[in-house]
Amino acid sequence: MTATEPVLEQEGRTIYRRPALLSNPTSYCPGCGHGIVHRVLAEVLEELDLGAKTILVGSVGCSVFAYDFLALDSVESPHGRATAVATGVKRVRPDKVVLTYQGDGDLAAIGTAEIVHAAARGERFTVIFVNNGIYGMTGGQMAPTTLAGQKTTSSPRGRDVQTQGYPLPVTEMLSLLPGVQYVARVSVADPGHVGKTKQAIKRAFEVQLEGKGFSIVEVLSTCPVGWGLTPSESMERLRDVVMDAYPVGTFVDRDRGIAPALPQPGAAHRSITEGF
Amino acid sequence: MAMHAPLVGAPLRRPASGSHVFRPVLVAVERCKGCGLCVDVCAPGVLALDTAHVNAMGHHPVLLLDPDGCTSCAKCARMCPDAALTIFARPRGA
Amino acid sequence: MTILDRPAAARPAVAAAPPASARGAHHVPDRVLMKGNEAIAEAAVAAGCDAYFGYPITPQAELLEWMARRMPEEGRVFVQAESELAAINMALGASAAGARVLVSSSSPGISLMAEAMSYMAGSRLPVVLVNVMRGGPGLGSIGAAQGDYLQATKGHGHGDYRVPVLAPSSIAEAIDLVRDAFILAERYRTPVMLLADGILGQAMEPVAPTFKTLEKGRPDWILDGAAGRAPRVLKSLHLRPEDLEEHNLALQAVYAQIEKTEQRWAGEELDGSEVVLVAYGTAARVARTAVERLRDGGIRAGLFRPITLWPFPAQALRDAAKGARAVMTVEMSAGQMVEDVRLAIEGAVPVSHHGRMGGMVPSPDGVVDAVRLVLAESKEAGR
Repeated sequence: MTATEPVLEQEGRTIYRRPALLSNPTSYCPGCGHGIVHRVLAEVLEELDLGAKTILVGSVGCSVFAYDFLALDSVESPHGRATAVATGVKRVRPDKVVLTYQGDGDLAAIGTAEIVHAAARGERFTVIFVNNGIYGMTGGQMAPTTLAGQKTTSSPRGRDVQTQGYPLPVTEMLSLLPGVQYVARVSVADPGHVGKTKQAIKRAFEVQLEGKGFSIVEVLSTCPVGWGLTPSESMERLRDVVMDAYPVGTFVDRDRGIAPALPQPGAAHRSITEGF
Repeated sequence: MAMHAPLVGAPLRRPASGSHVFRPVLVAVERCKGCGLCVDVCAPGVLALDTAHVNAMGHHPVLLLDPDGCTSCAKCARMCPDAALTIFARPRGA
Repeated sequence: MTILDRPAAARPAVAAAPPASARGAHHVPDRVLMKGNEAIAEAAVAAGCDAYFGYPITPQAELLEWMARRMPEEGRVFVQAESELAAINMALGASAAGARVLVSSSSPGISLMAEAMSYMAGSRLPVVLVNVMRGGPGLGSIGAAQGDYLQATKGHGHGDYRVPVLAPSSIAEAIDLVRDAFILAERYRTPVMLLADGILGQAMEPVAPTFKTLEKGRPDWILDGAAGRAPRVLKSLHLRPEDLEEHNLALQAVYAQIEKTEQRWAGEELDGSEVVLVAYGTAARVARTAVERLRDGGIRAGLFRPITLWPFPAQALRDAAKGARAVMTVEMSAGQMVEDVRLAIEGAVPVSHHGRMGGMVPSPDGVVDAVRLVLAESKEAGR
């Protein structure tokens, strides 16, 4: 016996319903942040009416099945190569909306060269980078974004920065590149932050539609199974520990004059999108 | 402190026959994975996981315990990783 | 008429042969001297290549440079990627979106492309990949070699797949085969490799300056946004073993069809030959000269030149070698095609290999001496 109740839809205005672009129920673990990001992405694409002209470039990780959950034309990429694949797609179909959806292993480990160069070239597509600091799909190994001291199956005594290096701040790194137009880090820790995630993703697609440069949203997320925590505990860790290590905010939004404060090169060498 | 979704074994509240209760939250029970995030974020605390039932995936789906207490803020729906919740505004007088 | 339409065992149109004008034709066709790399590139442009992705590596950098100038001139896409790995993946994306795509590299760069080749084979994406072979293994040398035969023909990425491999022996032939490669890639929805070498890439030969075009279809599997239709997914992942087996059976059926209908080769002086030399690419030109010298010396030698290395023209080779006393491959490697030759001959005739490695090119006299030795040995053994 189920717990559904009859719907009295005709009585109440609908405040929230599932976006149609979310095609099938997901196979993600209970409480996994991917589900939230997929949902928010689908909401944004529907609100901007972009579903029919969007091409999704998938990646390898838990979200390899994104093409089963989002009703978009999709192409699979080898692990780490999504930003190169997306370059090919967008260059030959500049009138379409192109996005990659990548986890931290895919983007910040094996795909680091590709993301840096796509951003440096100012490729006009959008990267949704879901960072949960772990390799979920393969069983919970350490990732480049795993925090110091964090225990994973390949750092069983906790990440030792002496031998295993320091976590990689991808958003900070990319925000230095002239070709990037919009760089933001957000999280899904609670409804307020989820709302900001949605705003950032929406802004990223607006930037793509303006055709001025590269846009990326890093979404700090959870992996309850990999972290060995309940979904509730995971959101707490996300809020208290992860967001402390990776500050959220808008790092670059050139149209709004937001960029890192650094010694600047000469005018001839600055971003071509400044004052565009 | 970790907040766990309160698990409730209380029987489903059924309206008296002939009347109906406005329910601002519709749960797609077969999509719900019982993660409890909606329960965590519900300010009036009107949601709970229904331990009396499991869905086909083996999860305890969420249950709207107190429809009258729900303010249709939709925080639950905006948190749900499985888009299992549909939210309606309360009509006047309901 | 393209090479794919020519009947079996046709004589190759080799630019090394004297042009028709020398034999008293009415008019002299215009010819231009073109470097192989550039001719291959221009042939792709003429054949409607929409996008080129590459990375500098010797001895094919001129191909990249030609495309850097010509593709923007034609309003098409050119990207010099950050690595060969990125270049081939850009090609994967462009192909998925329906573009006609060319990628080029040389041996070490081709190794980096192995992963994507497997993915493209699995996802059934057409791409033409040019390998201008150099000496290996590893960083090797920048001289011409044929050490990537096994890599090209045995599928060089992981998994059960094959790609058609076309091997031109002259720049004029390379121009034709570029267009044919696009035809094959799109007809069968597969990556296709054009296997050249550093000499072919760097040499300059006279070629007719007008290159043939190639129409473009509008396939029903490409990604261009799901407007008014169901979304399409291009992938190679099929998690359920039953599903993956079914997918592999479908791929094998495509390969079986290619094997049945797309084998190409050329033969010279094969009738009644007692020694059959088997060679492709630049080595075939050396072998041709060796055949002439052997014949001048009274040995009835012939040349069997595979043009498709996969599918390997095994039956045609078996037929050509019937009655011969010896078969010898001439390769710029330790002997790689010789394995396929042995498989094809199935022990009917002794098979040997003569070659040089490291960027060295066999000389015709070296081949002649090797043939004489083999024949002497076989005479001693009473064959």
